[in-house]
Amino acid sequence: MSISEKTPLAQEPALVVDDVVKRFGRGTEIVTAVDHMSFSVKQGEFVSVIGPSGCGKSTLFNIIGGLLSDYEGAVKIGEERISAPHPAVGMVFQEESTFPWRTVIDNVAFPLELQGVPKSERMDRAHHFIDMVGLASFENAFPSQLSGGMKQRVSIARTLVSQPKILLMDEPFAALDEQTRLLLGDKITQIQQELNQTTLLITHNLTEAVQLSDRIVVMTYRPGQVKRIVDINLPRPRTSDVVGSDAFGHYVAEIWNDLREEASRGMADSESAASRRAAHG
Amino acid sequence: MAAAGSLTSSSIPATPRNVLALRLAVAVFILCVWEGLSRSGLFYGEVVPSLLAIVVSLGKLLIDPVFWRNLQVTMIETMASLAIGAGIGIAVGIVLGANRFLMRAFEPVVYYLSPTPRIILFPVMIMWFGVGPGSKIALGALSAFFAIALSTAAGMRQIDPILIRVGRSFRANVWQMAFKIYLPAMRVPILNGIRLGMGTAIITVLLGETKLSNQGLGYMIMQVYTRFDMPGLYALLILVFVIAGGVNALIGHFARD
Repeated sequence: MSISEKTPLAQEPALVVDDVVKRFGRGTEIVTAVDHMSFSVKQGEFVSVIGPSGCGKSTLFNIIGGLLSDYEGAVKIGEERISAPHPAVGMVFQEESTFPWRTVIDNVAFPLELQGVPKSERMDRAHHFIDMVGLASFENAFPSQLSGGMKQRVSIARTLVSQPKILLMDEPFAALDEQTRLLLGDKITQIQQELNQTTLLITHNLTEAVQLSDRIVVMTYRPGQVKRIVDINLPRPRTSDVVGSDAFGHYVAEIWNDLREEASRGMADSESAASRRAAHG
Repeated sequence: MAAAGSLTSSSIPATPRNVLALRLAVAVFILCVWEGLSRSGLFYGEVVPSLLAIVVSLGKLLIDPVFWRNLQVTMIETMASLAIGAGIGIAVGIVLGANRFLMRAFEPVVYYLSPTPRIILFPVMIMWFGVGPGSKIALGALSAFFAIALSTAAGMRQIDPILIRVGRSFRANVWQMAFKIYLPAMRVPILNGIRLGMGTAIITVLLGETKLSNQGLGYMIMQVYTRFDMPGLYALLILVFVIAGGVNALIGHFARD
């Protein structure tokens, strides 16, 4: 199924981030990683959260994924507040996270194995999603035989196979080169449109965010707050060709305007930390 | 490694054929020296028996049911001590690897006790388990335990934390985490520990048998020695080396990634 026009989005948001605060440390050493963040993701929508390194993006990822249960405010799916990994949320990690002792198909079938799905059914379902990410001829390969981009596609297929309502990804392409990243972006867009998959992508990559998203949440650097939410009205279906369009350039420039200030604050911060270390070291 | 320093550089390429040729050359050299010493008459009696005598003894041993019975006893003792040592060692290793507090408290103890000679506990084991296989199994299990517990604990800490986060994100329960993530991720260090444990278990069992026992290869070695049957002794030693090396190679094969 391909969608030539944007489908009307359901009223009920798939995910609500409501006034979420997360602090680390104690006493005078408290660092506020996420500071009163609020936004929501509608059904079928692709939302990116973008911010400079160290702005608390990964903290937010862990909170929404349920891996960080001790936070203030609420991340809600329907009426349920997330405080542990939720079946509706499927996580894809930044790090290479395939199981090296399992073949591609056994990696992808892993979540179904945990759920006790019968073997023949889980192989069929795994096969379907491996095909979708374009690795059909590598089903019996081990991760060590695959490139970085292929391993990330295995991870994405493994998460999709559990059919999560919300696909939550933390910089899945951060370790890949720019060309591979653009092509994988195409793949993601295609899959997202095929499944009408609600997706939340955490990234620091501006072109990636504009290429893929319906909306972009721009974060401030430390404490991480919502600086602005930008609607990306680029036509769908989209391919990486969009990267060359004027509208694309316009969005990138506009968001960079907001991001530059935050990124330079982050850079100044890490540089002063480095010079303190150098002075003391 | 093309850029290796002068210490490791070599003009002879390390092809399997060259490696085999070198090994054969060294083996032939040692055998020639041995035979030369044997014929020189420099040594008392049969201390260095001729190769022919050793080969004849080897042949006799291989058709001797006494040898096979003793081999069986030693193998059963080794396997039993390995099974017990591995079972307890893996369990203790997982606990030490998973719990920082227990690790602080006990790992140094295990670590510093591990190279102590277990044979000094042999008299105690004899009192507890008798002169039969029980005391050798107990001592062998004790020696295998240390190697396996330490490498399991180390393997536990080497697990890539991302794999554990993946398991949690898919809501794996405790058993699924243990059997589908922790144990497969620790397969290589655990098998390495078992290989080391196997080596020390064989050594300890044989040592125990030479000290005080009424069966087993170690006992047989001492019997042959008291008869001063030097060719028989060397033949027996060769077989013990081959068996121990073969078992090690077998486990090493499974421990490869």
